[in-house]
Amino acid sequence: MSAYVFHVLIMVSIFAILSLSLNIIVGFAGLVSLGHAAFFGIGAYASGLMMIRGMGFVPALFLAGLCTAALGVALALPALRVKDDYLAIVTLGFGIIVVMVLMNLEVTGGPDGLVGIPPAALLGTPLYSKPGFLALTLGFLLVMILSVYALKQSRIGRAWAAIRDNDVTAMFMGINIYYYKMLAFIVSSFWAGLAGSLYAHYTAYINPQTFGMHTSIQILSMVVLGGIGSITGSLLGAALLVVLPEILRPLADYQDIFYGALLVTMMVFRPQGIMGRVKITEIFGKK
Amino acid sequence: MFFQQLVNGLVSGCVYALIALGYTMIFGILGIVNFAQGEIYMFGAFGAVTVYAATGSLALAILAGLGAACLVGVLLERFAFRPLRGTHPLVPLISAIGASILLSSLARFFFGPEDRPFPHEFSAATYTVFSAHITGMQLTIMGISAALMTALWLFLTMSRHGKAIQAVAMDSDAARLSGINVNRAYVATFLSGSALSGVAGMLMAVYYNATSPTMGLLPGLKAFSAAILGGVGSIPGAIIGGLVLGVAENLGAAYLSSNFKDAFAFIALVLVLIIRPRGIMGQRK
Repeated sequence: MSAYVFHVLIMVSIFAILSLSLNIIVGFAGLVSLGHAAFFGIGAYASGLMMIRGMGFVPALFLAGLCTAALGVALALPALRVKDDYLAIVTLGFGIIVVMVLMNLEVTGGPDGLVGIPPAALLGTPLYSKPGFLALTLGFLLVMILSVYALKQSRIGRAWAAIRDNDVTAMFMGINIYYYKMLAFIVSSFWAGLAGSLYAHYTAYINPQTFGMHTSIQILSMVVLGGIGSITGSLLGAALLVVLPEILRPLADYQDIFYGALLVTMMVFRPQGIMGRVKITEIFGKK
Repeated sequence: MFFQQLVNGLVSGCVYALIALGYTMIFGILGIVNFAQGEIYMFGAFGAVTVYAATGSLALAILAGLGAACLVGVLLERFAFRPLRGTHPLVPLISAIGASILLSSLARFFFGPEDRPFPHEFSAATYTVFSAHITGMQLTIMGISAALMTALWLFLTMSRHGKAIQAVAMDSDAARLSGINVNRAYVATFLSGSALSGVAGMLMAVYYNATSPTMGLLPGLKAFSAAILGGVGSIPGAIIGGLVLGVAENLGAAYLSSNFKDAFAFIALVLVLIIRPRGIMGQRK
C-alpha cells in the first residue's frame, strides 16, 4: 500500500473518533452541537503546545483530552440551560469564539498556526512511519468503539436515551437530566480532544482555520449520513465523507454544495441515516 | 468618538434588526429557526449587484434583489421545511444548516469567491450631530429600516394575510378550523421575512461596497442572537435586540478590543441566556 492510502486511512480513523464523539452528544443524549471542531482544535493546540515545551507524547495526549473536557464543562455550564435551536446557536458561537481566540493569541501563533509540532512517540521512540501511526489511531478508535458501546448499554446510556426520547418524562423518572447532559459533553469533548492531539502530531502543523465551522459541519454530516445514534453509522459516515472527497478531488470546489444538499436530502428523505433503523422523527417523537 | 460609535452601531443594528425580524416571524409561526436567513440576505445583495452591473438601473437592481431573496425564501419553505413539519426540532434544524451551506456554496459557484463591488453612490453629504459624522448612506439605511418596520407592523395588524399569520402563530389548528389557509400563511411569513433580509443585504452591499458568498454568515448569526436577545417570537423584541446588539458591538470594538468585535454578539447571547433566557421583550421561554 502506498503512503497515500495510509494517509487516507489515518484521516478516516481520526474523523471516525470525531464523529463517534459527536454522536454521543447528538445521537445518545439528543442534544446538538455545531461547534464540535472547536474541541478538536483545543485538543490539537493543547497537545501541540505541551509537546513543543518538552512534554512527552502520552501525558500530552491525555492532558489534551482532559483540557478539552474541562472546556466542554465550561461550554456546557451556560449552554445546557437551553436546548434545541438555542443550544445550536450557542455551540456555533462557541466554535466561532474559539477560532477567534486561536487567531488572536500570541502563544498559539495567531493566523499562522503552530509549526514544528513533534511527532507522536511511544516508549521514547518517535512514530515517523505512516503504518505505525495508523496502528496507533486504530488502537484508539478500537478502545473508543468498545467504551462507547459499553457506555451505550450502561445505566448512563439508558439515562441518555430516556432524556433524548422525552426529557420531561426522564426527569419525572428521577434522572438528573442536567448531570447526564453534562456527562455527554464531557465524554464527547474528551474524545474530540484526543482526536485533536492525534491530528496535531500527525500533521506537525496546525492553524485555526482547520477547526472552524466548516469542520464542525463536516463532522455533523458524518453523524447524520451514517445514522444519528448508530455507532456503525458514525464509522461509515466518517469513512464515506473522508474517502469520497479524495476520490472526487477534481470536484473539490463543489464539496460544500454536496454537504449542504446531503444534509437537506437526508433529513427530508431518510432522517434515520444509512445505518439507522429507526427514524429520528420516531426516536424523538412529536414535539 | 462615543456618538460616532453610537451612530455606527445604530446603522449595523438596523440591519441586524431587519434580519432578526425574519428569524422571529418564522420562529413565531413555525417554531423553527431558519438558519439560512443570512443566505437570503446574501442572495438579496447578489441579485441586486448582478442586475446593477448588467443594466446600471438602481430600480431594476432593487427589484432583482427583492425577487432573489423572496425566491430563495419560498424555495426553502417548500423544500427544506414543509416536508419536515411536526418533527422533532433537531430535524428541520439540521436541514436548515444544510440549506445554508448549500446556498452559500451555490453562490460561490455562480458568483465566484471574491468580493464584488456595488459601486452606487447615494449621496456624499455628511451631517454632523454631536460631533458624530453621519453620511447620507447611513441616514438612508436608518430611514429605510424604520419605514420597513412600520410597513411590517401595518401588514401584520391591518391586512388579511398579516392577520392570518398572527392567527396561525397563535394556534395553527384553530386557525385551520376557522378556514385560514395555513400553508399560505407560512409562505406569506417566509416571503415577508425574506424581503426584509433581502433589503438588509442590499443596503449592506452598498454601504460596504462589497458582496461575497460568505457575507451572510456573521450577520445571520448575530441577527439570530439579536432575536434571542429581544425575545424570540416578539416583533418589537427583534428590533430592540438588533439595535442593542449593533450598538454594544461597536462600543465594545471601540473601547475593549476590535479583534474580538465579532465575539461580543455571542458573549452577549450567552449572558442573556444565563440571566434572562426569554429575552428583553419575551413573554415566556
